[in-house]
Amino acid sequence: MEQFLQALVLGLLIGGVYALMASGLTLVFGVMNVVNVAHGATLVGVAMLTWWVWNATGVDPLLIGIVLVPVMFGVGWVAYRGVISRISTESVSMSVLLTFGIALTVEGVLNVVAGNKFRSATPSYFDESLRVGGLILPKAQVYGVTLALVTLLALYVVLTHTWTGRAIRATSQNPSGAALVGISAAGTSALTFAIGTATTAVGGSILSVLYPFFPASHYDWISRLLGIIVLGGMGSLPGALVGALLLGVAETMTATYGSLQWATVVFYVAILIVLLFRPEGLFGSRLREDVA
Amino acid sequence: MTALRLVSGSLSGSLSAHGLTRSRVLVLVVSLGLLLYPVIRPYDIYPQTVMLLAFLLAIEAVSWNIISGYTGYISLGHSVFLGLGGYAVAIVATRSGINPVVLAPLGAVVVTAVAVLVGFIVLRRRSHAFVIITIALLLTTQAVFTNWKSLTGGSNGLTLPLPGWSNDIQALPFYYMFLGILGATVLFSWQIRRRKFGTGLIAIREDEGKAAAIGVDAARYKVLAFACSAFFVGLAGGVYGYYQTFLNPPGMFSILTSVMIVLACLIGGRGTLFGPVIGAFILQGANEAATVYGGSSEARVLLFGVVLVLVVLFMPAGLLPTLERWWQRRHPAHTHFTNQMGALGQGRLEFTRRLPQEMPAYREAPVLLDVRGVSKSFGGLKAVDDADLQVREGSITALIGPNGSGKTTLFNLVTGVMRADAGEIWFDGQRIDELAAHRRGHLGLARTFQVTRLFDSMTVLENVVSPVPDTGVRTLLADAVSGTEAERARHLLDYVGLGAFESQRAGALSYGQKKLVELAQVLMMEPRLILLDEPAGGINPRLVERLSAMIRDLNEQGVTFLVVEHNIPMVLDLCDPVYVFARGRAISEGPPEVVRNDPAVLDAYLGEEWASEPEVPMVQAVVGGGD
Repeated sequence: MEQFLQALVLGLLIGGVYALMASGLTLVFGVMNVVNVAHGATLVGVAMLTWWVWNATGVDPLLIGIVLVPVMFGVGWVAYRGVISRISTESVSMSVLLTFGIALTVEGVLNVVAGNKFRSATPSYFDESLRVGGLILPKAQVYGVTLALVTLLALYVVLTHTWTGRAIRATSQNPSGAALVGISAAGTSALTFAIGTATTAVGGSILSVLYPFFPASHYDWISRLLGIIVLGGMGSLPGALVGALLLGVAETMTATYGSLQWATVVFYVAILIVLLFRPEGLFGSRLREDVA
Repeated sequence: MTALRLVSGSLSGSLSAHGLTRSRVLVLVVSLGLLLYPVIRPYDIYPQTVMLLAFLLAIEAVSWNIISGYTGYISLGHSVFLGLGGYAVAIVATRSGINPVVLAPLGAVVVTAVAVLVGFIVLRRRSHAFVIITIALLLTTQAVFTNWKSLTGGSNGLTLPLPGWSNDIQALPFYYMFLGILGATVLFSWQIRRRKFGTGLIAIREDEGKAAAIGVDAARYKVLAFACSAFFVGLAGGVYGYYQTFLNPPGMFSILTSVMIVLACLIGGRGTLFGPVIGAFILQGANEAATVYGGSSEARVLLFGVVLVLVVLFMPAGLLPTLERWWQRRHPAHTHFTNQMGALGQGRLEFTRRLPQEMPAYREAPVLLDVRGVSKSFGGLKAVDDADLQVREGSITALIGPNGSGKTTLFNLVTGVMRADAGEIWFDGQRIDELAAHRRGHLGLARTFQVTRLFDSMTVLENVVSPVPDTGVRTLLADAVSGTEAERARHLLDYVGLGAFESQRAGALSYGQKKLVELAQVLMMEPRLILLDEPAGGINPRLVERLSAMIRDLNEQGVTFLVVEHNIPMVLDLCDPVYVFARGRAISEGPPEVVRNDPAVLDAYLGEEWASEPEVPMVQAVVGGGD
């Protein structure tokens, strides 16, 4: 029982971090209909940057992540204005190919700059644990998930309590309707992409502490995150949260009662089973098929 | 210049015998060259190796093109089929001692089964999950094959025995094997493209909802296309494993291979027959050059990434279509105009579906379409609210009403674009509200759209012949444009006055012309009931008259119509009975002269103030204010 509880709590902690990482991806898809395959590469890129600053200065990696938020916001804005917006009117498939190309480019640059080897930021607390009742909770995991949840909360507040957020939600529900009431689709898309990218600042810095990474790690990450948003329902933020928690728990459970190597496989089998019965995912709405 | 003309001819999509022979000659010459090359230089192992790897990439790219080029569903993990095919063959070969080449078809069978299974789960609906699942499939399979050590040897891999033939010609048999598979794959892809199956795939790519409206069973087509796109990759995978003599998960389930497949197809031209082959040769050449000039596989990731971004941004159509467009700009075709006089002057259309006997006056005729208590809400909005509507056989029934009164939603419920929340829909004595949209099309229920939805990249003629009458295998394998079909389609195009446009791309037509083509397309289905959604919108007054005449003419030959239209004079002149919709249900029904003076109708259209001034003629008022 204790083992089960340990696995469950740890799974939820891990899932909380996944939720933050997946939130930017599902937000961008929901508003812009862009499947941003470069999201994983951006996370790994941020992790690399965090590691590098941490290694050079000794500043806490999670703190670096917070500082990087405006930087990544800017990166996202520029990437959208400079590259992504050029194809925004075209089909989803072109955006997939474009962002896939960007992912490869980022991976390639990281390879050239940092080399193809594993890294991990190891602040003083990285191998310490907290004991709560009978449960052992790694400090890094607790700090990481706390930061992730705070960021998600901030994202939620921005989306629900600011005009920008309302514009984003309006565009995600009905782009042409939003345009009619004076919301600039291009501006909103740029903002959304920037916000989506800004979430990787925190996500990537947490990644650098919790998971060893190297340039090609982004494939693991993107497939995990895409799996989460497919399971939760593409474009749905609550769906991403639930999907992420499910993945986290599935991973720790598989690791506890089986072997860690099979964790992602178990998760994907679960996704396929869900899709078999609910093709739109857990929280997804069906595409309005009457709209061309 | 001649070479270019050949290339251009092969592309033009038009099936003119002229273009076909020219491109056939070119293909023949290239194939002969590839066949004879090793005979002329049998001991040049390095170029042979480069070539056979290009063949392999071309096999993969041509296959990928079937699901991602023709059908438009991008697979980002297509190398999973190479790996699965290779491993299936290698596992059986190492255990049984049978030669891997003999077992290669097993690889094809295994991957086809996997594709059908995965396709069935993620391709049933129109959804963006497919591309994601393909990435996940590749990475997950790689993980499974790394972890399942007892079967696959894990990361240590599997070693196959060396081929039995002499070392001097080691690459030669593989060269011919891959060349042979490539030939088969190209033939396969060509056969798909020139049959109804291929046209259906293009239709799905262009507009999946419209495809269903003309009878295409999108789910079945897509799953089948995915299976077709896996088959030859699995076959090649079986041979490739033997060629390598060593299989490990990172090598066989390589992301980089998937990237190269996508890139090859994009560079050459997605959706064209030979584009993927040309792209594969260019890319494999560049890849080889990168290796020779000191590029590590990490550097290649960067190179491919940058090239992919550049291609998507600046040459999204690919090499062949770009060349083709350039060629067409240099040699513009003559511009045609709608043959209005022709259209107006044409006589009756000989419609093949004839009435069994003399029809009774429609008021006594049997009910063809029966809508019973149907409701549909979007969130809190009741778009259609417990609506009843009957269309009798042989009638031209009108459905009018203010914007937002639920007319188009009712059309969507009847044709199966959406499912009703409640109520029943019967067509010709059969309950149809549970049937898929394409099945309703097969029963003889056709529609046009408010904003026309033609397949823009197809020619006008291809558009008109695109409807399919059933889901049978025979239809799937029938020629895309058979002789009798083409003849009938030309006849229909002449009838609507657009005969001169048959080989133009539909995307090049004007709005009004598209409406007429869509009508011809719908007539090709030989429907019993045609739902016309604002047929007169955007058409000039003379053509509106002609359109009315056509509708009448078709109606006399037994076609029933249900018309949504804001052009009230046309409706009152043409239709009987007239249903008036407001707030999601019929508020009035009857002959035009009755409906015209119904106070409820005036109220619904114009509000209460108008209703209190009955001396204002409704027709004028509505026409003035309608859209």
